[in-house]
Amino acid sequence: MGAAHSASEEVRELEGKTGFSSDQIEQLHRRFKQLSGDQPTIRKENFNNVPDLELNPIRSKIVRAFFDNRNLRKGPSGLADEINFEDFLTIMSYFRPIDTTMDEEQVELSRKEKLRFLFHMYDSDSDGRITLEEYRNVVEELLSGNPHIEKESARSIADGAMMEAASVCMGQMEPDQVYEGITFEDFLKIWQGIDIETKMHVRFLNMETMALCH
Amino acid sequence: MEGAELAGKILSTWLTLVLGFILLPSVFGVSLGISEIYMKILVKTLEWATIRIEKGTPKESILKNSASIGIIQRDESPMEKGLSGLRGRDFELSDVFYFSKKGLEAIVEDEVTQRFSSEELVSWNLLTRTNVNFQYISLRLTMVWVLGVIVRYCVLLPLRVTLAFIGISLLVIGTTLVGQLPDSSLKNWLSELVHLTCCRICVRALSGTIHYHNKQYRPQKGGICVANHTSPIDVLILTTDGCYAMVGQVHGGLMGIIQRAMVKACPHVWFERSEMKDRHLVTKRLKEHIADKKKLPILIFPEGTCINNTSVMMFKKGSFEIGGTIHPVAIKYNPQFGDAFWNSSKYNMVSYLLRMMTSWAIVCDVWYMPPMTREEGEDAVQFANRVKSAIAIQGGRQITWGGGDGGLKRAKVKDIFKEEQQKNYSKMIVGNGSLS
Repeated sequence: MGAAHSASEEVRELEGKTGFSSDQIEQLHRRFKQLSGDQPTIRKENFNNVPDLELNPIRSKIVRAFFDNRNLRKGPSGLADEINFEDFLTIMSYFRPIDTTMDEEQVELSRKEKLRFLFHMYDSDSDGRITLEEYRNVVEELLSGNPHIEKESARSIADGAMMEAASVCMGQMEPDQVYEGITFEDFLKIWQGIDIETKMHVRFLNMETMALCH
Repeated sequence: MEGAELAGKILSTWLTLVLGFILLPSVFGVSLGISEIYMKILVKTLEWATIRIEKGTPKESILKNSASIGIIQRDESPMEKGLSGLRGRDFELSDVFYFSKKGLEAIVEDEVTQRFSSEELVSWNLLTRTNVNFQYISLRLTMVWVLGVIVRYCVLLPLRVTLAFIGISLLVIGTTLVGQLPDSSLKNWLSELVHLTCCRICVRALSGTIHYHNKQYRPQKGGICVANHTSPIDVLILTTDGCYAMVGQVHGGLMGIIQRAMVKACPHVWFERSEMKDRHLVTKRLKEHIADKKKLPILIFPEGTCINNTSVMMFKKGSFEIGGTIHPVAIKYNPQFGDAFWNSSKYNMVSYLLRMMTSWAIVCDVWYMPPMTREEGEDAVQFANRVKSAIAIQGGRQITWGGGDGGLKRAKVKDIFKEEQQKNYSKMIVGNGSLS
């Protein structure tokens, strides 16, 4: 506890930037140190130490999301080599539950941020559009590892979904019109009215409530 | 020469006391009740210490201890439920939501890693190693703690080291002597006596208090005894109540001497390192051993790696392919008086033993369970899981089908689990019929 006194200002700053409480930040810091092996930064290789993550089919995309400059708010594209604790918290904050006490504008903003995170996961070349190729890539990864699914099925699933997206976003298409890909606005349109809040958050426990059930 | 005489007298009184109070009762398996009194005093002191701490510390530090339980509330709903909410068409972008959430949960809190740190106690047992936030609370408490340190290091430690020394030398000498006799029932009886006595002495060397439950299910000859493995002294705890044939690798040094001596008195199964790699050879030898109904039951710890006291990790299925009757045994340690967990990447054997001998006591419960055999149509993996659940339920532990193959040392998930999950997922999408 002694060494933490000078760092408490940093903690307050992080609290303000990311919205986590100081207890949660401390816990996450411990986890950060565990993952990084007591180094000040994490690299991609450090995520290999999480055995539960290996069960996840889109593992590489999730890890990549941690280093994506767009998510870290450091640039329009590209990947960082390593991230520090503040970056780690920034990524975590995308998964905080939406605070129901916030006003409508804030809620809308929060929702947009989450969807943007997801959009970045699909749009791997950072050109602002999810093309057919990128979509197929995601579907294949989700279905990878199962030898019984042929590549063809994965492709047809992706194609079907893409066509559906086109009809939602462009309406009736002219014969020569090409649907370039899903832009972020189209992406938002697809999700309009559907409640994603419960699907995309991790419930970080509030430390005070835990002590009461001693 | 008064000094030397005095020292000589002290040493001889010391030895006679040890002999009288500890060694002789161990031979006859009788307890003098000294340990019970010791434990009672210990419990009273620790309760007092805990009350002092709770009065003294501000609320926050108590929170720190309970925070190790977990920082996030994981969404334990099965995959179907997690994905079904937004499903209307065959394939949705929403599935990525579900997997991203799961991925993030894994990154924030990894069940496997959590399992490998020692259980942290909410109360303090006057051992600094278990208290993360050791702070100065009151003069009285600190004095008691200092007293505790003195008692542990200066009184208990020499006593225990002496006992351990005597125990091991008796074992080696005793088994060698018994080994000289020709095979007969007398030899078996004597070797049992020697084994039991020495184990009891060694257990007292650690101030172990063991409660055995359901003794009627104790493993019989010609069977296999399967237990969960928390620390290297599991073996000691089980052999105090019965003789087993051990299975393991041949070691060099002190362990090697002990192994060779033990084999002379009754048959154990020791393998060379090169032989261990050949699974068929191992299985064959074990099968031969249990086929002989006169030989002692084999003791196997299928996990092969130590595990924290709260969960039981995946059993290796190889041990269950041998056949025969399996007698499951559940061992659970009470961490209040001394933590028996060995984190082999952090401590080596000698420092581990030192820690053991300077704890207050090792308290544990052993439950014997009714025998199980492999049923028709059950493969080794299912059988292993069945046994594992039985042991975990008995010990009151959560069962986890966790990702690791045991051990932070080799945290690679077997592909079979990854495939299983992805097969499930793709079945949901494709198996529902049409692909548009």
